[in-house]
Amino acid sequence: MRPVECLTCGNQVLCEKFSPAHTSVQWTADAAVACAEFRARVAEGAHSARIRTCRELRNSIEQAVAEGELEVADV
Amino acid sequence: MTALNEEVRVIDAGRPPTRFARGWHCLGLARSFKDGQPHEIEAFGTRLVVFQGQDDGELHVLNAYCPHMGGNLAHGSVKGDAVACPFHDWRWSGNGRCTGIPYARRVPPRARTRSWLTLERNKQLFVWHDPEGKPPPDTVTIPEIPGVHGPKAGEWSDWTWKTLRVEGSNCREIVDNIVDMAHFFYVHYSFPEYFKNVFEGHIATQYMESSPRGDMDLGTLSAGGLRSDASYYGPSYMIDYLYSDIGGGTEMEIVLINCHYPIDENSFLLQYGAIVRQLPGMTREQAEEAAAQTAEGAAAGFEQDVEIWKNKTRIDNPLLTEEDGPVYQLRRWYEQFYVDTADVKDEMTRRFEFEIDTERANQAWRAEVAANLAQREAQREAQRAAAPGTGA
Repeated sequence: MRPVECLTCGNQVLCEKFSPAHTSVQWTADAAVACAEFRARVAEGAHSARIRTCRELRNSIEQAVAEGELEVADV
Repeated sequence: MTALNEEVRVIDAGRPPTRFARGWHCLGLARSFKDGQPHEIEAFGTRLVVFQGQDDGELHVLNAYCPHMGGNLAHGSVKGDAVACPFHDWRWSGNGRCTGIPYARRVPPRARTRSWLTLERNKQLFVWHDPEGKPPPDTVTIPEIPGVHGPKAGEWSDWTWKTLRVEGSNCREIVDNIVDMAHFFYVHYSFPEYFKNVFEGHIATQYMESSPRGDMDLGTLSAGGLRSDASYYGPSYMIDYLYSDIGGGTEMEIVLINCHYPIDENSFLLQYGAIVRQLPGMTREQAEEAAAQTAEGAAAGFEQDVEIWKNKTRIDNPLLTEEDGPVYQLRRWYEQFYVDTADVKDEMTRRFEFEIDTERANQAWRAEVAANLAQREAQREAQRAAAPGTGA
């Protein structure tokens, strides 16, 4: 797994991509605290475990792939 | 031969855990315990008694065996807010204290049995199990389902409820299903087109979008597409919010509960039930009927799972492909419920996300189903040719 940093809030996760559609993300800190998007939604009463995806983090992962920082195994 | 065998993958069956999971466990629909009788539950390697106090109206759970001479309280009767032992009529109240022994001058000072912490929610009864004997933290609870407790609960049917006793399997087998994308095609006859897992804290979620196989009739919840958003809250209670495409741009909303409690380390009681939201123009009876049908569909699905579990081995070292879900990470999450709270590691609870690439799998499966349908059609053609005049 490779580290990827969120371009919006700086949250650092570990990522792996077997293919363009596959994504594995291991968070390295408490998601409800480390991520700006989750913090906002948790403040509104959401449970971070029940949020499917952080859009900003997803964009950052895609960016890392586009820039060759995160390798996709099967391309 | 020996050289070849050295290359063979050897299954590590491991051993079922020696303790039972910490967490809230659903014992069934609350109303099923409110008939004035004590009820016996075989769980956590022992027996429990569930009874409703006649005055307080509350459901109570105690160890079933009477500390006096071991009589089974579940075979006794409810007297006031206590359950009375059938052996010598010792009375035990919901808090575990002995409240009376009609033939004795005095109640012994240490006359106390184990009282289990209960929760009534979603019209279901839960008990808290913790080998360390600690109460649940505030963050660990069973959420209220809006279709039961929300402002629009009146639009929802009542629960259907079914139970299935599974022998010869540890309950980890059913928990593994959260990540098992491919079994939805082979065992439950659907195409899982989108599949993502999220594990965080005590919650494990499966997001799935699927459609039914055209070559099978059994086990699917609907004829059209299905969106499923299912979370385990702790080790054993899953709430599955289902949205079923029933045509004409209409989706039916269903909540399916899938829960279990361990009977012992090698058997468990699987329980499931559904509620359905009335669609516009749908009568209450039709919603109840839809819930019953959902439960029937789920029953067929679970029976297919059980058939697999009955005949498979426990496996601690599954051999996986990229299209299999994150089995090892799921089990790392599940492990948190089997260790002391002081030994729960960050890696068990830190957020982990896994989205499977389902494209290749679905290509292969679509081709397989198309071939099955073509073969069936060819057989029908052959039958027609062999018996001219009889075919339509």
